[in-house]
Amino acid sequence: MALLRGKRWLLMVVVAGLIATQALGAADAPTENQVQAVFLFNFSRFVEWPPQAFAAPSDPFVIGIVGSDPFGARLDEAVHNEQINGHALIVRRFRSISEVDNCQILFIDRSEIARLGQILAALDHHSTLTVSQADGAAQRGVMIQFATENSRIRLRINVDSARAAGLTISSKLLRPAEIIGTDVKEQ
Amino acid sequence: MTGTIRRSWFVSALILYGGAATLAQADNASSIGELKQLNVEDLMNVEVTSVARHPEKLIEAASAIQVITQEDIRRSGATSIPEALRLADNLQVAQKNSHDWAISARGFNTALANKLLVMIDGRTVYTPLYSGVFWDVQDYVLADIDRIEVISGPGGTLWGANAVNGVINIITKSAKDTQGLYVQAGGGSRPEDLADVRYGGALSPDTQFRFYGKYVDRGSEVLANGDSASDAWRQGRGGFRVDSDASAQDKLTVQGDVYEGHEDEQAGGTSDTSGENVLGRWSRRFSDTSDMGLQSYVDRTYISNPAAPLIIGGLQFAGPGIFQDELTTYDVDFQHRFRIGTANSVVWGLGFRYTHDVVSNAPSLAFLPPTLDRDLYSLFAQDEVALRPDLSLTIGSKLERNDYTGFEVEPNVRLSWILNPNQALWSAISRAVRTPSRIDQDFSEAAPPHFVVLEGGSDFKSESVVAYELGYRVQLDQQLSASVSSFFNHYNDIRSTTITPTTLLPFFFANGLEGDTYGLEFTSNYQVSDTWSLHAGYTLLKEHLHVKPGQTDINDALNETADPQHQFSLRSSLNLPRHTEFDTALRWVDTLHTNNGPVVGTVPSYFELDTHLGWHASDHLEFALVGQNLLHNRHPEYGFPDPSRPEIERTAYGKFTWRY
Repeated sequence: MALLRGKRWLLMVVVAGLIATQALGAADAPTENQVQAVFLFNFSRFVEWPPQAFAAPSDPFVIGIVGSDPFGARLDEAVHNEQINGHALIVRRFRSISEVDNCQILFIDRSEIARLGQILAALDHHSTLTVSQADGAAQRGVMIQFATENSRIRLRINVDSARAAGLTISSKLLRPAEIIGTDVKEQ
Repeated sequence: MTGTIRRSWFVSALILYGGAATLAQADNASSIGELKQLNVEDLMNVEVTSVARHPEKLIEAASAIQVITQEDIRRSGATSIPEALRLADNLQVAQKNSHDWAISARGFNTALANKLLVMIDGRTVYTPLYSGVFWDVQDYVLADIDRIEVISGPGGTLWGANAVNGVINIITKSAKDTQGLYVQAGGGSRPEDLADVRYGGALSPDTQFRFYGKYVDRGSEVLANGDSASDAWRQGRGGFRVDSDASAQDKLTVQGDVYEGHEDEQAGGTSDTSGENVLGRWSRRFSDTSDMGLQSYVDRTYISNPAAPLIIGGLQFAGPGIFQDELTTYDVDFQHRFRIGTANSVVWGLGFRYTHDVVSNAPSLAFLPPTLDRDLYSLFAQDEVALRPDLSLTIGSKLERNDYTGFEVEPNVRLSWILNPNQALWSAISRAVRTPSRIDQDFSEAAPPHFVVLEGGSDFKSESVVAYELGYRVQLDQQLSASVSSFFNHYNDIRSTTITPTTLLPFFFANGLEGDTYGLEFTSNYQVSDTWSLHAGYTLLKEHLHVKPGQTDINDALNETADPQHQFSLRSSLNLPRHTEFDTALRWVDTLHTNNGPVVGTVPSYFELDTHLGWHASDHLEFALVGQNLLHNRHPEYGFPDPSRPEIERTAYGKFTWRY
């Protein structure tokens, strides 16, 4: 079973490769969290909320995070000085669903996934776009789930959940996304 | 493989008894501002990295669990599962020679270490010959491992007998996540040759498959005087996995592996190993809070080891021979999870295992009877009660019936208190047992009609532990997380080697030891920046075993432990510009007491360093240069200090990885 007899040759190639080819000037790969933070910002532009989502025209557009915050300053940076239809974008962080009041987007960290049923029930009758990076979140009724496949961020969108909350998701988001249905037994 | 039935240990014990007794922080070129300029489709095509581990998933677990992720494994440069297990701070990992490893949690890491339960995709891989693990034959295409969960502390309630000091759960990726071609090849001073190939495809939109092959050729380690330890080995393996989302609720998995290996033995001759297994699993999700799983597997393993003659004091009691073992395991498990009201989450299950073990005895070494069939039935139930939103109590027990000792009960009580989303306290009291294995009752050295000097004890019963644990986890912010687990364990009926009254010989195994151990495990991750993460780990372990009143142990209670009191690790993962990554892992292991019979021997404490330099030349091609054990030409990690003790050499290898 003697495969690959030329191993020392291979080693030389690796070393030579590392030394010789430092010329590629491509940008370094960003982290999952950076790209997800920018997606959260983009959702504010590619999803349409019903007018009753805001109590007053001066209300801010709130991106909430419940559970551990995976984004840190990156999300604040992404929404800094941005506004949507006159509503200033702000980020708010909640320790549990009981603290959450009106927000347009709610990111449910995977640390809160054990309480997902409770969270979704509390958001019933609210026009809140729910987003999570937890495995299987979209099947369980979360509207948009981040998944990392082949080192790229994929969107899994539960259109039924979004529609039930009165939200309209732009085809710009839907086209490259994977459309997921809620498991029948879930409800 | 041979380290397991290593006779020298017993023989020496007899002889001794009868005789003399940087880091520049790279700028992250892709700023949030630049990413915001991209449209949705471009954003989805941005390649992302994840240096961050995911402790947040663990924050609420009420046990001392540590998770080794795929990214951890890749960046460590590990080429085998034992090497990857060095990434868990709550394990003691020592390489004995080129092909044998000693791995345990919370101590008892002897040549016949027997208190860990190890599973690969739900298939138990410890051998009922001695309740230990043949680490040389547990392998996989490491890139297809999703994660390795390492739980220190008893896991008997959920996992069953043998989960006395810990559980290692190796979980491979679903076929859906291993699509396309993956080729990795390389070599160097060790491993000399390494080749992995995997191909994954789809049978239908809902059904994916992969198959793989792996070949490793590893050279010999050396002795203290620089001579070869003559323990080179090579192993080939292959396998497949098919996953199907049969419906919205149902998932089906079928997987299997085959392997064959040949290992040169220091004492002369070659060991042969081979095995096959096939496993099927059906899981059905009824709702958010209710699901069930049914799993069954068949596993066959074969080993053939040269057995040295039994010579004591220059007198040959039995000649050399070949020892062989062929074990076939049939296992079926069922598990069901559901809720009662809003506060109770119940999980229960049933299991049955049948093992058919056939040994071919050598004159000097035997298991009697040579053929043995065993049945194991198990039933468990556990209820997690939400006392308050932040406080949950878990109560459960396993009930097991085995052919050696009849019924065994392994209960636990766990309390988890979530102080806030970033901090949790947990505590547990649990009991677990190690039921007898073949060595405890059936062992015979040498085989009759030769004179028997050591044999199993026909009355050998289960060893047991009652463990008290207290743990704390914190995620200070996204940058810093830490976890500390402490334990106090009381062991009873631990194995001793005692004497036959009046005739002295044969010596036989009994349950003559008891004692306490205590210690703590600390682990911490610090994300210095988007491109740099640090990890630190420390374990403290104190062991106090003694001979029970009225009992005898010819080894003075010194032969069931071989562990460092302290060990720590410090690791750095750095993403450099131009798609380059650099990882270093420094470890320090305290003095190891590897006693031989009642005679104390040690492995000196040591520092060691591993490094990994990787370069992603393109989306498809990656190069890596790995150095292992760089601080010494060679150092011992295990074994009684004599001239035949193998030492582990400094090694380096290079490899390329092609993904398409």
